[in-house]
Amino acid sequence: MQSNQTFADLFRSRGVSRRDFLKFCSLTAVYLGLSPSLAPSIVEAMENKPRTPVLWIHGLECTCCSESFIRSSHPTIENLLFNMISLDYDDVLSAAAGHQLEAVRKKIMKDYKGKYILAVEGNVSTRDDGVYCMVGGDSFLNILKETAADAAAIIAWGTCASFGCVQNAAPNPSGAAPVSDIIKDKPIVKVPGCPPISEVMTGVIAHFHTFGTLPELDRFGRPKAFYNTRIHDKCYRRAFFDAGMFVTSFDDEATRKGWCLYKMGCKGPTTYNSCSKIQWNGGTSFPIGSGHPCIGCSEPNFWDKGPFYGRLAEVPFLGSDSNADKIGMVAVGAAAVGAAAHAAVTAVQKAKSDKPGNDKA
Amino acid sequence: MGRIIEEIYVWRLPVRFYHWINALCMVALFATGMYIAAPVLNPALGEAVWHKGMGWWRYLHFAFAFIFIANFLFRLYWALFGGDKYARFGGFRPWSAAWWGKPFREQVESYLFLRSDEPNYVGHNPVAALAHFIFIFCGSTFMIFSGLAMYGENNPGGFNSAWFGWLIPLFGGSYSLHFTHHLFAWIFPVYVIMHLYAVFRHDIVDRTSVTSSIITGYKHKVEEEPG
Repeated sequence: MQSNQTFADLFRSRGVSRRDFLKFCSLTAVYLGLSPSLAPSIVEAMENKPRTPVLWIHGLECTCCSESFIRSSHPTIENLLFNMISLDYDDVLSAAAGHQLEAVRKKIMKDYKGKYILAVEGNVSTRDDGVYCMVGGDSFLNILKETAADAAAIIAWGTCASFGCVQNAAPNPSGAAPVSDIIKDKPIVKVPGCPPISEVMTGVIAHFHTFGTLPELDRFGRPKAFYNTRIHDKCYRRAFFDAGMFVTSFDDEATRKGWCLYKMGCKGPTTYNSCSKIQWNGGTSFPIGSGHPCIGCSEPNFWDKGPFYGRLAEVPFLGSDSNADKIGMVAVGAAAVGAAAHAAVTAVQKAKSDKPGNDKA
Repeated sequence: MGRIIEEIYVWRLPVRFYHWINALCMVALFATGMYIAAPVLNPALGEAVWHKGMGWWRYLHFAFAFIFIANFLFRLYWALFGGDKYARFGGFRPWSAAWWGKPFREQVESYLFLRSDEPNYVGHNPVAALAHFIFIFCGSTFMIFSGLAMYGENNPGGFNSAWFGWLIPLFGGSYSLHFTHHLFAWIFPVYVIMHLYAVFRHDIVDRTSVTSSIITGYKHKVEEEPG
């Protein structure tokens, strides 16, 4: 482990020119939403600070976060970023395995007590003492608690670790829970998305490395730099939304013309992420760009929020077939029927009391 | 029909203005809101630059919403500081057991046909006051808060996002808040049906001209006629 190496050392040893190194630092500043004057801070941190050790642990997950992370946009930079964090433990990507790897984790926890970053991918099975997710002979629940105890901060990768993804969708058989439900005493930055965009992931690490603190977070604990605006607000199809020009079926003329996917169930108006800004795979495209409505994968409990291809979600607690408008119309109908019935009784009573002999209306 | 024996000036001009502005806003907000949720009109093929379809519906929804809010705030002011005996909140105290006592019980019994006489109130009866509290006060407050929280999403970090944005995590995300806002919109048509029915029925049974009183301001007491 060359843990005292700085990034600049590493870049030089890889044959990266100073010019490319500075380009990388400026690009990172831009992604982080920092002012251009802060790019030198990133350069300075990259040149002088020893790399931050990161322990990356995996719970109940599909590894899509790792897949996204290793596809960061520029091949050289991806390679360097990957080395940048001094990824000392990652049971998916490590060449080593078994006891040796677990020993590395224990050693880092001891040597860098209170200084390392714990990156968590996937969520935590809590039912039956966490037996539904075992890693290296122990439950992931125990491993998370043990590793989090001496961490400086925790990064919750993906919607699983941030909010709980498909694993804790109803009825949640394994009691899967997001990291923030288990660890309460550590700063946690949530980087939701299924998976999150790779530049967002590297950006969060670069911010921590540069400033030694977590980036500014929103009310959900997500970095504001990437999750401050809705996909809808930066969507290139927004003009069609405002114009009221919608795709109504996946093979109509409007689809070919690239109109707004709102009526196809697009969750862009309620989803906070950077897909419409940074896009995916080095700015190649993103779901809406490929003609598919956003499914809101970075939002809490997106699996349980009704159909992906419909605007009006079904209400789960009132049967499989009810939606807000059906419930509303039933309530309006009930009010009308109730009023009519009450009117009928009133009329009958009034007719009775209007007969001679009754003196009270 | 009995002779009018008394004219009572119940609804003063500010209250009548509030009522009709509120009615107009409720209808407009419900209609535009439903359209935004399910935009049924689709323009012919062409360039987006020539159309403002969705933009106009949203603009109208927001415009009526701000009129609705201003009107609601005015009504709160009038209830608290207007010194208007029939429009204040003073008599409504559901936290005290006494309020749920005899008058409330008598009114409920009357609505359930369990007693033959109708208790007569010049202003709102206790059941009407409770209905207005639930539907108009609580309902409007929720729609205003949730609406402003969603309006604030257009401008992250702005005033509405700072003051009302906390509703988004409270409801578990923007989508759930949109959904709840949409669901609760239905309380207004339910309320309108009950309100109209109650007004017409009271007018027929009590003969107090309550229907026209929201235009003229005057309610009438009529002489009881031997039947």
